[in-house]
Amino acid sequence: MTTKSYNPFHTAQQQFDKAADLLELNLATRDLLRNPMREFHFTISVRMDDGTRKIFKAFRIQHNDARGAAKGGIRFHPQETVDTVKALSMWMTWKTAVADIPLGGGKGGVICDPHHLSQFEQEQICRGWIRQIYKNIGPFSDIPAPDVMTNPQHMLWMLDEYETITGAKYPGAITGKPIGMGGSQGRTEATGYGVIITVREALKELKIKPNKTTASFQGFGNVSQYAIELYHKMGGKTICVSSWDNDDKKSYAFRKKEGINLKELLEITDIFGGIDKNKAEKLGYEILPGDTWIEQEVDILIPAALENQINEETATKISNKVKIIAEGANGPTTIEADEILNRKNIFIIPDFLANAGGVICSYFEQVQNNTNYYWEKDEVLSKLDVKMTTAFASVSDFAKENDLKMREAAYVISVNKVAQACENRGWV
Amino acid sequence: MENNKIQTDLIYELKERAKELNCMYETQELLSDKEKSIDELFQHLTKIIPSGWQYPCICFAKITYKKQLFQSSNFNETKWELNSDIILENKTVGSLQVFYSEARPESDYGPFLKEEKKLIENITDQIKSYLFHQHLKSIFEDKHHNKKINKSESWKILDLLKKTNPKLLISISRKMVNYLSWKRISEAEKLFDYYNPSEEKESGLFKESNFPYRTKSEKDEFEISDKIFEVTNKYLDEQEILDNISRWIKYDQSSFLINLMGNGNLSLSKIINILERYYHLKNQGLLLSPIREKNLRVSLIRRLLSDQADFIKIAKNFIDISEINELTNNIIYPKKSYGKLGGKASGLFLSSKILEKSKYGDNYSTNFKIPKTWFIVSDGLLNFMEYNSFENIVEQKYKDIDQVRKEYSYVAHVFKNASFCPTIIKGLSKMLNDFGEHPLIVRSTSLLEDRQYSIFAGKYKSLFISNQGTKKERIDELTDAIAEIYASTFGPDPIEYRIEKDLLDYNEEMGIMIQEVIGKKVGKYFFPAFAGVSFSQNNYRWSSRIKQEDGLLRIVPGLGTRAVDRLSDDYPILIAPKKPNLRTTITIDEIIRYSPKNIDLINLEKRSFETVKIDTLLKEYGKKYPKINQIVSLVTNGFVQQVQRFGMNFNKNNYSVTFNGLINNTDFLKKINSMMSVLQKEFSYPIDIEFAHNGEDLFLLQCRPQSYGEISKPAEIPTNILSNNFIFSANKYITNGTVTNISHIVYVDPQKYSELSGYNELATIGRLVGKLNKLLPKRQFILMGPGRWGSRGDIKLGVNVTYSEINNTSVLIEIAKKRKDYVPELSFGTHFFQDLVEANILYLPLYPDEENNVFNESFFEKSPNIFPELLPNYKEFSNVIKVIDVVACSEGHFLNILMNGNENKAVAMISE
Repeated sequence: MTTKSYNPFHTAQQQFDKAADLLELNLATRDLLRNPMREFHFTISVRMDDGTRKIFKAFRIQHNDARGAAKGGIRFHPQETVDTVKALSMWMTWKTAVADIPLGGGKGGVICDPHHLSQFEQEQICRGWIRQIYKNIGPFSDIPAPDVMTNPQHMLWMLDEYETITGAKYPGAITGKPIGMGGSQGRTEATGYGVIITVREALKELKIKPNKTTASFQGFGNVSQYAIELYHKMGGKTICVSSWDNDDKKSYAFRKKEGINLKELLEITDIFGGIDKNKAEKLGYEILPGDTWIEQEVDILIPAALENQINEETATKISNKVKIIAEGANGPTTIEADEILNRKNIFIIPDFLANAGGVICSYFEQVQNNTNYYWEKDEVLSKLDVKMTTAFASVSDFAKENDLKMREAAYVISVNKVAQACENRGWV
Repeated sequence: MENNKIQTDLIYELKERAKELNCMYETQELLSDKEKSIDELFQHLTKIIPSGWQYPCICFAKITYKKQLFQSSNFNETKWELNSDIILENKTVGSLQVFYSEARPESDYGPFLKEEKKLIENITDQIKSYLFHQHLKSIFEDKHHNKKINKSESWKILDLLKKTNPKLLISISRKMVNYLSWKRISEAEKLFDYYNPSEEKESGLFKESNFPYRTKSEKDEFEISDKIFEVTNKYLDEQEILDNISRWIKYDQSSFLINLMGNGNLSLSKIINILERYYHLKNQGLLLSPIREKNLRVSLIRRLLSDQADFIKIAKNFIDISEINELTNNIIYPKKSYGKLGGKASGLFLSSKILEKSKYGDNYSTNFKIPKTWFIVSDGLLNFMEYNSFENIVEQKYKDIDQVRKEYSYVAHVFKNASFCPTIIKGLSKMLNDFGEHPLIVRSTSLLEDRQYSIFAGKYKSLFISNQGTKKERIDELTDAIAEIYASTFGPDPIEYRIEKDLLDYNEEMGIMIQEVIGKKVGKYFFPAFAGVSFSQNNYRWSSRIKQEDGLLRIVPGLGTRAVDRLSDDYPILIAPKKPNLRTTITIDEIIRYSPKNIDLINLEKRSFETVKIDTLLKEYGKKYPKINQIVSLVTNGFVQQVQRFGMNFNKNNYSVTFNGLINNTDFLKKINSMMSVLQKEFSYPIDIEFAHNGEDLFLLQCRPQSYGEISKPAEIPTNILSNNFIFSANKYITNGTVTNISHIVYVDPQKYSELSGYNELATIGRLVGKLNKLLPKRQFILMGPGRWGSRGDIKLGVNVTYSEINNTSVLIEIAKKRKDYVPELSFGTHFFQDLVEANILYLPLYPDEENNVFNESFFEKSPNIFPELLPNYKEFSNVIKVIDVVACSEGHFLNILMNGNENKAVAMISE
């Protein structure tokens, strides 16, 4: 029963080392970027509902802020480790760089399980967290956001504490706020739309007209729903979508070869993206086993549900017709599968480029907060289009110029951008 | 047509009874008028009396008293006559006669009804009692006017008693001896000897005599009495003597109650008559000694509510005679009934009185109501079966349980097509008039049910009826429901349970409780704002910070059925009422996923019980839903917000049931906690209650002992288990307990189960588990299977079994294959779970895929399967069900399961 202990930070460092080798970075740059610039470890004392005091361990890691204020979530998790938080803060640095927004990377967390905490106690943790760290964060230095087991409510408590201490209104100190309390329009649509914007650019590059293409989606949550909406606007045809059935505890693929009707499907879909299979059948959909989404004769595959869905086994089932895979979910493709896809000459839009719409919208929220002027949804979405297109172009150009695959290119370009910023600032 | 006639007859008869009662009350009122003289009273009485008879226009009354005549005007004596003599001091002093002036159809006594015969006797009784008291009063009044008290006054009374009521004289004499000795008058000690048999003195005080006591003659008694009062006159003044005598005479008027208190076999109608008489006399100044009052109270409780010593011990401190008397107005009983109200009804009645009166109570615990309730007594079931000649069905319980199961649907069918006796129909009709067209719930209240240690939770049915439409439709709907509940007595589950609890040989007497459904009419629907169940003890703790005594609340919008029953497709909101802030759901996903999605309600238009989607209901009636802002929260992008009364838009926004408003902004939990704590203190055991809220008031619907499993000790978990012997481990939601000597494992393979295609095959698995449950050594095997055992909804989620199909297992294990967004619901707080707790069957959830958990796949794969040997006719299922003979495949060792709730750890290992 021995398990080899997995250290996510080591994995992140190894990944970085590969890019650094390619870029032939000097030692100082490697030393700087292999480790966070600042780590804050502190404790939060909370008076519990029963009157006792409890001490919680908390972190804030600022990996790099050469390109702008550190940005990253705060997670509440009982098994949180500083290594996970460090790894995640590094990934945030690369993510903001590839999306080409002027922000750096950070991450934070509190070791606690909200399942055993009352709302009031959670509020005390949020406020306690700010009291310990407020000097080192802020709208122009480090901007937290929601993450695992934290939600807009926690962000509002934190923001309120920050504003109380500083004595002024700084809505840009925290993102992920609800609309009307400093949140941005378009956040719900951003990730899904972003995926399709990158698909559109990829099709342009492959010289394929969108209205001549078909697609199959895994998952029918927020990301897929908005991705399909935009894809259809571009003239594409979705012929298959898979969805988790919570009653049967398994997923099904819903296929209509002449193309699915998004509107009618949404009407029979619950808040979690579960499609009512009986109603779908009546509407003329074929109900297939969930994993058949990947076998469809389509041009585009969009995994937008879980990790490791495209693996050694499933990758072989992919039709030869498939030209593009856009990773809407995080880490949907295993390393082994990646090689198979490359052999099949499939154009992959890697996850941290394809789903960068979310972080771009967080940046927009911050911009609107700092100027105290809020945009309409159209404005947010058109700015999103510009950002995503630019990000895609720079990765794709870099890939072509340096003869790299898209995934490699995305990683290398982001490390390069950060290294460059550090050098320009005279840090290395 | 037939029914119309029954109805007309019924109304006519009810009107007659009302006339008679009115006449009684008027007589009583008249005789208690202290201003009027005897002459005036009697004259007046002759005018009142005819109104109580069937044909008042031709009815005349005549009273003869001490040679004086009193009569109605236009009086003619005829041959159609009823009479009753007025007898006082053993002498006939007069008579009351009633005549009809014209012929009328023949009835029980000539043209008179038997009820009228009873009426005339009752009126004469009242006259007698009036005259006797007038006589006594005159004696006492004489003495009051005469300041200088004449010693002979008390003697006058004693003489009068000698002539009229020697028994009373003897009783007063004895009381006087007690009184004197209580005043420490030494001479009184000697008087005691008169009441002690002389033999005793001779043979020594502490030796029991072998001879019967010599009974004293009346003459002896009078002599003793004279001696006593001689002594009394020496030590007490006349005033004191007279006060005592007059008090004791008043107490004695209640001697008829002794009949009730001494006689356990009095029929219900007699008891109710006696109570009626008691209240008549009470209005005329009847006094009960505190001891007699208590005795009466206890007798009534024993006779009408429960004969369980534990129940009476508590009930006698909280229930008054007047409250029982009031209760009797709502009891429906067959002729010659000896029944009781049954456990559920008595439990509710007692707990409501405890909450009203307990010294531990406060403003919160008393701030509740109980629904209007009617009762059919417990022998109503036997009456129903006799009336329909169903005697053979009584023997059903002694049949083989498989036979019982097979025949149950037949029994139900026969019952639903049977009829009720006219007395019961009459009672039900009266009850429906009282309720009006208000939805009702018909519930069982069995004598065996709801005692401590034998809670038939959910074994018998409760049925909702809409109670809408014509009277006939309503009666039909109601009797149909009652018959169905009667039939459920002969279902396999209750019988199985009774076998287990050794209650089979008791007669199952099933009372019925008919309650108004608590709720509001909203559009075409009727339902409460919310309802639920509250348990004193939390046997399912979702956080280590929640203690057992923090309690558990299962609460749902609408009818409470969804909180009581085990659901497969929905979730009630769970709250630990003393730690309300530690909720089961934390993330937005959890909050939405595990909130109730459906609501049970009554559709008044379709006259049916329905389950509808809350979303759909809110879109149509959201604004009219009582207290909706306390029930739902607004769910926006990742954010759960409390809602305000205004600005809710059910068509535009998403709302989820959270009860956040109720928990955070109302005193609901204070009420629940306070009620629970008062009840638990007074009953001195943990309880559970059912409640409902109509938006304005909280209603208590039921209270009974919570199944009280022995709180097992946490087992010590060994750290170094040999990997061959290690079968599985678990580390979530563990309770305490140790099970040793497990000889067999029944393992329903989750994968193979999920691959079964047809419903019939899936259902067969449940039946086969039931058969294994009978074959394997009791409490020496464990059941392991996918998802949720006993799921009532989607059969794919777990093996569909009833309690009687798993009741012999020692541990019930649910295997949850973890999926990304799916944690199977655990079987807590439901009927099923209570069964497990009660039967000391441990429950354990397994998450074999989770890190750090052991699940010995090879043991399950490689051990031989003895299923085909056990059930050779079902060989084809042996790939789904595996039965492992642990002892055979481990060289004589058993399997042990050790569970430690404090450490949240459990292991199953072959004993070493």
